Amino acid sequence: MLNEQALASANQSSIQTLQRFNGFRAKRRTYLLALLPFIVLIITYELAPLMTMVIRSFLTPKTGEFTFANYAAIFQKKLYRDAVFNSLSLSLFSAGIGIVIAFFGAKAIYESTLKRRNTFMSILNMTSNFAGVPLAFSYIILLGNAGVLIHLGRHFGISFLENYNLYSFSGLVLVYVYFQIPLGTMLMVPAFQGLKQEWREAVSLLGGGSVRYWFKVGLPVLLPSLLGTFSVLFSNAVAAYATAYALLGGNFSLLPIRISEQFVGDVLQRKEFGSALAVMLMVLMVGVTILSNWLLKRAGQQRSTYGK
Amino acid sequence: MANRGKQKLNLTIMVLLSAYLILPLGLTFLYSLFQEWTSMLPTGFTLRYYVDLFQDPGFYLPILRTLIISTVPVLLCTAITILAMYVIVVHHPKWQKYMQIFCTIPYSLQGVILAISILALYSGLPLPFSDRIAMLVCTYCILILPYIYRGIQNSLNAINARQLIEAAMLLGYKPLAAYLRVVVPNLLSGITVSFLLSVSLLFGDFVVVNIIGGSYYPTAQMYLYKMMFRSGQQTSAMIVILFALTLLISAGVLVLQQRNKKSVAHKQEVADGFHTI
Repeated sequence: MLNEQALASANQSSIQTLQRFNGFRAKRRTYLLALLPFIVLIITYELAPLMTMVIRSFLTPKTGEFTFANYAAIFQKKLYRDAVFNSLSLSLFSAGIGIVIAFFGAKAIYESTLKRRNTFMSILNMTSNFAGVPLAFSYIILLGNAGVLIHLGRHFGISFLENYNLYSFSGLVLVYVYFQIPLGTMLMVPAFQGLKQEWREAVSLLGGGSVRYWFKVGLPVLLPSLLGTFSVLFSNAVAAYATAYALLGGNFSLLPIRISEQFVGDVLQRKEFGSALAVMLMVLMVGVTILSNWLLKRAGQQRSTYGK
Repeated sequence: MANRGKQKLNLTIMVLLSAYLILPLGLTFLYSLFQEWTSMLPTGFTLRYYVDLFQDPGFYLPILRTLIISTVPVLLCTAITILAMYVIVVHHPKWQKYMQIFCTIPYSLQGVILAISILALYSGLPLPFSDRIAMLVCTYCILILPYIYRGIQNSLNAINARQLIEAAMLLGYKPLAAYLRVVVPNLLSGITVSFLLSVSLLFGDFVVVNIIGGSYYPTAQMYLYKMMFRSGQQTSAMIVILFALTLLISAGVLVLQQRNKKSVAHKQEVADGFHTI
């Protein structure tokens, strides 16, 4: 009783407070000052740099006239064409391998006991911190010219190991896959929780086996998460800089490395051309996201036409 | 029977993946403990490389720099975002969606593009703008904004901030005071997780610091990169120390997450109690 009264009066006064609130709002707008630091930060260090970069990518150096020449230059020179091609294929390969392994990793987590699940998740969590320069270095002592596995290969006469070249495209894929696995698996785990036990039972009641369940139910349900995770992994790889830089320096043409060279190089700085390269990198990232959304929509349409 | 087979398969997958993930880490650790590893097995166990590092006065400064540069921007970014959220929560809830857009853009930009675009814009300008350390701090603020924003937004969702503010205003607080003295203290424990995540992210950063900081602000990661070309064992020891520090930060995250699970429920009770007074 007392409680109800208190509640009623509380409600009433909260209406009054709200009115006071709005009166306060109408009277003074000084509260907007609280937003000021945020707006300043966003404009000066997020929007302005980004916009100037996009604009600059269309300008002729020195004269400042509008041009597409910077973009044309990317495809005219082999060095930069290679950078685009290498970045694209390295990211596709590492994200592709990463997503397949992440699928089985997350599936194993989903089907395991709580204790095993926790142990494995902590390992993923821990190793997801191992990236960049430290990761590159530990692959160098593992598989570099004098790497431990190279010694083992020599000792046991395994020519594949003995002659392995870490400083190559396949070496980069190998190192990139390492940091894709923990990220991909951790991103896929929540998706598996959306699979209902009943669906599997329904499939087996209708006479379907495990394979049929996965192809007809499991994978279609997981498709949005698989595509989403794939595009995260792709962006993660295409913009990765530290690992490749520490492993190969400038000896392998990759977009992020070529981009930074245009701005911080000891040689000539070419900001306009570098901006065009950076926009190119953004286009790749956005492109894959759009593509995965489009695929998803198409898959959705196909499913709805099945229904009819 | 089939189930048991499946469990075995799953266990195998997890063991193989764990081994694959731990191998480079474990090997780096072993490598730092031996003088030589030029045949099958390493020889000459020693702790020399760690002792050397700890005795080198040049080792502490980069670590100190890293600790400073990975906490100051996080503090700054958290303060700025909390202030901005005041306007969103109390005065303009509809602006929420714009806030979300601006806070998620950096997530899709990634380090390279952000660092490059900021450097290109400000490096030619006069002083307060072209100061590398200021540039580094602000770039980091933007880089971690998505995580800080998510953390604050999630904690705000958990405590029903509007109700709390209304209740506090009934008790005579002005809106801003109500926000700062009632809502913000309730946010803190929820924010600490994203706070520490951001710190560990910046702690391991090489991209931004290499592009913007350069030789102006050599952090532990830069020190490590230079060391790579000198001594393998020394570098391994350095990696182990840095990784241990990162783990310490992540362990803090885990402990706090566990504690938060309990305290969010508790806070809801407090909030409800507050409202019915």
